[in-house]
Amino acid sequence: MYQAVLTRRYLTSKIMPLLAMAAVTLSVGTVLVTWSVMGGFLEQLVNAGRSLIGDAKITWPNTGFPYSDELIEMLEADDRVEAAAPLIETFGVINLPDDKVQGVQIQGIDPEQFLDVVGDGEGGGGFAESIWWRRIDKPVRLDKDAEDPRLDTLAPLGDSSWEELEQSGLTLTEPDGEAAAMLGVHVSGFNYRTPTGFYRPQPPIQATPDGGIRYLTNVWLPNDEITLHVMPLVAGGRGIDVTTRTIPVANEFFTGLFEIDSKVVMVRLDLLQRMLDMQESERIDPDSPRERFNPETGEIEQLEPRVIGVTPERVTTILIRGAKGVDADNELKPAVEELYAQFAARHPREVPPAGSILIRSWRELNATKIAAVEKETGLVLFVFGLVCFTTVFLVLAIFWSMVSEKTRDIGILRSMGASTAGVAWLWLRYGAIIGLVGGVLGLAMALLIVTNINEIHEWMGQNLGLVIWDPAVYLFVEIPTDLDPKKAGVVVGAAVLTCLLGAAIPAWRAGAMDPVKALRFE
Amino acid sequence: MPSIVRVQNLHKTYRLGRAKVPVLRGVDLDVEEGEWVGILGQSGSGKSTLLHLVGGLDRPDRESRASIEFDGANLGSMSRADLDRYRSRSVGFVFQFYHLLPEMRVLENVTVGSMIRHGRLGYRGETKHDVEQRAKEVLGVFGLGDRLRHRPNELSGGERQRVAIARALINRPRLLLADEPTGNLDRETGGTIIDAIAELRDRFGLTIVMVTHDQKIADRADRVVRLVDGRVEDAAPAFEG
Repeated sequence: MYQAVLTRRYLTSKIMPLLAMAAVTLSVGTVLVTWSVMGGFLEQLVNAGRSLIGDAKITWPNTGFPYSDELIEMLEADDRVEAAAPLIETFGVINLPDDKVQGVQIQGIDPEQFLDVVGDGEGGGGFAESIWWRRIDKPVRLDKDAEDPRLDTLAPLGDSSWEELEQSGLTLTEPDGEAAAMLGVHVSGFNYRTPTGFYRPQPPIQATPDGGIRYLTNVWLPNDEITLHVMPLVAGGRGIDVTTRTIPVANEFFTGLFEIDSKVVMVRLDLLQRMLDMQESERIDPDSPRERFNPETGEIEQLEPRVIGVTPERVTTILIRGAKGVDADNELKPAVEELYAQFAARHPREVPPAGSILIRSWRELNATKIAAVEKETGLVLFVFGLVCFTTVFLVLAIFWSMVSEKTRDIGILRSMGASTAGVAWLWLRYGAIIGLVGGVLGLAMALLIVTNINEIHEWMGQNLGLVIWDPAVYLFVEIPTDLDPKKAGVVVGAAVLTCLLGAAIPAWRAGAMDPVKALRFE
Repeated sequence: MPSIVRVQNLHKTYRLGRAKVPVLRGVDLDVEEGEWVGILGQSGSGKSTLLHLVGGLDRPDRESRASIEFDGANLGSMSRADLDRYRSRSVGFVFQFYHLLPEMRVLENVTVGSMIRHGRLGYRGETKHDVEQRAKEVLGVFGLGDRLRHRPNELSGGERQRVAIARALINRPRLLLADEPTGNLDRETGGTIIDAIAELRDRFGLTIVMVTHDQKIADRADRVVRLVDGRVEDAAPAFEG
């Protein structure tokens, strides 16, 4: 009991233990912030992709494969699959209204089916919510002056209404029915991201023939058009010819995944199929004669080729969303492999064999990135752990000094019958309390930082010119965090253990003190 | 009256580097229950050492075959835990420099002895309130009833020593060991402290062993034993260490 009273008194009357506590607080706070950022990064890396490709993906790049509707039907009939959607992925080049030419990754989607797979991603995100130019009711975080153009009742430029813009984005079709493209919000460079986290249209700059420049003040991408160039490929990867098409821009999207927002352009699947020569077409008998000699006229006549069937449309990819509770790696992927094997057996020599097709979960598709982040998290935590381990020696030094200072108190306690274990427990308990209080304060500090980390980062950028989180490097435009209660418990527990370790030797020394010498200590 | 404390052939030698410094050279002492014994001696005569040994804070030289008995129990055969228990239940110490715990308030400085006696699991057989009430009563007797929440550095020397005596008595010990209790006080204040001790002895029937180098203070005791060069004067040493 006396240990509790003395611990309380020592805690409130001594400056040195408060310094030890501050060290624990800083250590716990640092480790937790690091762990939550790295953990959040990993979590977002795993989940963000799912909101764009679902849980797994079947891919046969370049030339693609036919009968995707049949495969999708087979997949969706399985309980482990929630939905599946066809997709074409290819590379291309776009011309922007300011004459800029940019290499992009082009995705052809069937909007309706695509939304079934990624329409409402985990955490309420998903493709539908990634459409950027749509009316919002309340300002985004930190937009204190409500400057976000999306808060206005009218779209920034032109006659389009917000509803039309959103609908165009969802369907990749203009109100007049024309197929349209949707660009990642960073693709064009026509949007300025404000420090508070929204985009404002930024007039593009165009070079003039006289060597000068001019601002295209009336250009706003969703009201303009782009020219798309793609190259259809035949088996073996040889290009046939470049196909070019100028199409309007329906909208722009923002997923938060920088790699996607800065590189991907989406168009309708049927449009991209036509451009890549992957649409449904008649199959011509290669042996049918193309011309014949007419003996009556003495001339060579062109013949209609003999049609022997229909070549079905092709896609390069099927996106799959697993049913709720189905593990993508251990349950969904094997199910998809099994179903694809059945599908391939139905179409021998028409679709890639089961052993060759690429079936990957999101985690596997990003295995290198995810493993790198996991390793980096481990390494960073190890290094920080080592740094924090110095707290053991700090506590040891402070407690050693305090035990020396309190030698006479120890003698007094012993003279009243306090046991060696009791005196040692006083210091161990004191160390544990410092660890616990410091740990809880560190947790509070981490919570405060983690919940405001983007604001703090923005403030540092604005006032100190210090930008640590570069979206181009770290994929996401905002610093992701995930403060797991279990991790917090582990770190606070480690702080208590650290302080107990640091206090152990001084506690042993205090307990082992000769009471007579202690009483005579001056 | 039976002896409550019996010391026989007590030797104690300290080491100063390689040198052995004998402090007690064969002390024999009997103290009867309820008796007040004054130990008189010059500085370095071994008075405090004798008190520490009787209080179980220290052990005599192993080879001396010394014996210290309290109420028939030999301290030499007690384990460390037994000695802790002996100090917390049967003995109360009062020191020259008060030795109060500076971070604790007056009331806590008195009840801490009871906390130690009851151990880590809480009060047994009485409540915290009972203990505090008892502490307040003792402090009230010493005129410190209005100083319960003060810290030691807010008290005068005499007040501090009275708090130290109250602390020594909180567990109702049978033996009070006082090491120069007035040595750090002026004569008048010292006199009041001795008066208080005398009153306590009369009220509780305490056995008191008080070390002093002041003849006048020693004269207040029932009996005075003089320590000279580690021996009780006129007593022949039984063992030379």
